[in-house]
Amino acid sequence: MAHWKDAFPIDLAEESRHSRREFARFLALVSAGFTAGIGYLWARRTPLEGAPESEGGAGHDHAVAICAASDLRPGQSRLFAFRDPHDKCILVRTPHGALKAYRQTCTHLGCAVRWDGARLECPCHVGFFEVEQGFPVQGPPSRPLGGIALEVREDGMVWALGDLPKPNATGSVAALPCPREKGGAA
Amino acid sequence: MKRVRRTQMTGAALVFTIFVAAIQLYLFETVLGSVLDGQRGLLPGAFAVSAVLTLVALYLAFKAPGLDR
Repeated sequence: MAHWKDAFPIDLAEESRHSRREFARFLALVSAGFTAGIGYLWARRTPLEGAPESEGGAGHDHAVAICAASDLRPGQSRLFAFRDPHDKCILVRTPHGALKAYRQTCTHLGCAVRWDGARLECPCHVGFFEVEQGFPVQGPPSRPLGGIALEVREDGMVWALGDLPKPNATGSVAALPCPREKGGAA
Repeated sequence: MKRVRRTQMTGAALVFTIFVAAIQLYLFETVLGSVLDGQRGLLPGAFAVSAVLTLVALYLAFKAPGLDR
């Protein structure tokens, strides 16, 4: 017997014994796995990473003080933890002066997004999100970032209140121009 | 010598089983995307539909008519 047959002792006659019915049973097992997965998602109490806590929008149970509103000038950002130390979020002041906060988890493959002064950028696969509502405007991400509801209180502190509902895609704002495209055209 | 009973299922049953598995894949992908968007309201319905599809697949895999009966 050849050496490779000793290393890989696959008998073709045995291999051909897999019948249609065995294949169908395998598919049924896969189907049951998908059902179990949906059941797990249903039974799971804590939200998946990057998902908002509920459909009800912002809640006030987990309010977190981030910083003084005056600490951020337009174009600046600050990182903070929201639900727990692993729930990384980013607070930005837009060039127009508005305060926005999003989960740092990219909706593509979960890398941490960063603020480039005009948009939120995922450096792993060069995805960009606009800052007004968190919609993806370039690259592989297809879902908007998870938004955080903010409140500026009387003492000037910015508080994160809870998850914002995901924005409707039909209400998408116009995509901002890509800095790289502008640079290439110049 | 022990005779192995072989009941080869029909092509139609096999194709339908593959179709059910494809629906399950699409359903799971859709449900996962919705859950990541915070929409958990569809989970009970999706689970019921997925369970029914699994029962259909199991029925076909074990009880579908054979070619050699």
